[in-house]
Amino acid sequence: MEDEQSFSDICGGRLALQRRYYSPSCREFCLSCPRLSLRSLTAVTCTVWLVAYGLFTLCENSMILSAAIFITLVGLLGYLHFVKIDQETLLIIDSLGIQMTSYYASGKESTTFIEMGKVKDIVINEAIYMQKVIYYLCILLKDPVEPHRISQVVPVFQSAKPRLDCLIEVYKSCQEILAHQKATSASP
Amino acid sequence: MASRGRQEDSLPPSPESPHTISEGSSTCSTMTHNICMVSDFFYPNMGGVESHIYQLSQCLIKRGHKVIIVTHAYENRKGIRYLTNGLKVYYLPLKVMYNQSIATTLFHSLPLLRYIFVRERVTIIHSHSSFSAMAHDALFHAKTMGLQTVFTDHSLFGFADVSSVLTNKLLTVSLCDTNHVICVSYTSKENTVLRAALNPEIVSVIPNAVDPTDFTPDPSKRSDSGTTVIVVSRLVYRKGTDLLSGIIPELCHKYPDLHFIIGGEGPKRIILEEVRERYQLHDRVRLLGALEHKEVRNVLVQGHIVYDHVAMEAVLPIDKRLDRLISHCGPVAGSIFALLVVLNFLFLTFLRWMTPDSIIDVAVDASGPNGAWTHEYSCSKRKGEE
Repeated sequence: MEDEQSFSDICGGRLALQRRYYSPSCREFCLSCPRLSLRSLTAVTCTVWLVAYGLFTLCENSMILSAAIFITLVGLLGYLHFVKIDQETLLIIDSLGIQMTSYYASGKESTTFIEMGKVKDIVINEAIYMQKVIYYLCILLKDPVEPHRISQVVPVFQSAKPRLDCLIEVYKSCQEILAHQKATSASP
Repeated sequence: MASRGRQEDSLPPSPESPHTISEGSSTCSTMTHNICMVSDFFYPNMGGVESHIYQLSQCLIKRGHKVIIVTHAYENRKGIRYLTNGLKVYYLPLKVMYNQSIATTLFHSLPLLRYIFVRERVTIIHSHSSFSAMAHDALFHAKTMGLQTVFTDHSLFGFADVSSVLTNKLLTVSLCDTNHVICVSYTSKENTVLRAALNPEIVSVIPNAVDPTDFTPDPSKRSDSGTTVIVVSRLVYRKGTDLLSGIIPELCHKYPDLHFIIGGEGPKRIILEEVRERYQLHDRVRLLGALEHKEVRNVLVQGHIVYDHVAMEAVLPIDKRLDRLISHCGPVAGSIFALLVVLNFLFLTFLRWMTPDSIIDVAVDASGPNGAWTHEYSCSKRKGEE
């Protein structure tokens, strides 16, 4: 079963949330941001080059122009490869664990896996981020020595930063699975 | 129904009160307020303002209002925390400049404060303490955003030195269109009205002193040899420690059976120790050092005289104060601040364009009529009464 809903992120951009229910114990959430738009790319390139031309007319050194071209290319590659994340997925399987994958715009993927034994809970928390106060979804990890304490907080959907309504949808589904896992691990 | 809910609220708690409060809060949601307390001073910093804010917030929550507190970050304590009964505290990461106050630029705190005011749907801003730069900033921004404002002044202030002249000017500007001002004593009211050139009618007095019934002297605990004077306070300049160190030798010389017990800790403790050293008063002046809250009573009941000092009441004569105030209330400062107000408004317009109010998430209420803690609180209260 699969459905798609559209939400917005904290800056007002559009986000698409895809939910795939493979079985009652396995769900996948996929948040995709819009791709890099031609408009913002043109705007950034134009600004860099105009500044470079301005400097060039002042000091008449053609090195500046070549440097500007170089900076634009390297900056674009770096942005696509290390910064711009197109898609983030959260796969939760109740007997195994939670897998988070980010797909960068260049095609790079980075995956983190947390096994279920380490997961204490999934909660929505509030934080001060830049000049904003935002909600975020995070996974609480158990301390291996003392199981009642929290050793680490892992934020989910770090680059997409969806708004509260979207987070609540994901949170509810995750809690269903966690409750299912607790019930099955307690019964046998 | 709504009026009945309000009447019940103002009565002292009766056995049915949990029932009526929960009923009242669900029906008369228009009467409850979303109050935002702003001050630079809050726990983990200790002092009178801090405990005043905390107690006031707890009482307002009990009456069914939603209360949040905004303060600056204390070292590692930043972000959002919850205290008893869902009192939400925002520790904002703003740089501390001097004496636990942030810098008063009137601009750099606007984005965060505006975000909080919008997401918490705040209707009343309640600022505390004229030393707190954040409180002034919040008043300034709240007026730009068109919110109701209340200011509580906790301290008395001189008119002579540079810092008080500047603070008084700032106070004049930031209180000139505050809806209401609360002072903690009649002396403080007089002081505030003069400093800020206010209309005395908008200033109320809500005394904020030690409850005297808790501190009845215990004659069995006091020593019979002579008179004992107890001083318990933070040993800082503002609490008059310099004055105290000046009068101790003179009083000890004049009354040979006088003893001092001084409790508290602070940077001015060294002065008291020096005085004790110089006049050989080791058997007459006892310095107890820092005291736990629960120990304070046991110290206070031992005395014959309790010296309660509020800072710097002895300031200039009234005519000089007024002269100075008039000479400093010129058109120059007025026009400068008018310019700042315009700039602040433009900045707010820019922020509204960047992140419109509609895309700011409404925060989940912790206290107030629909608060997550409210239901729990009324349940536990009912259980406690049964």
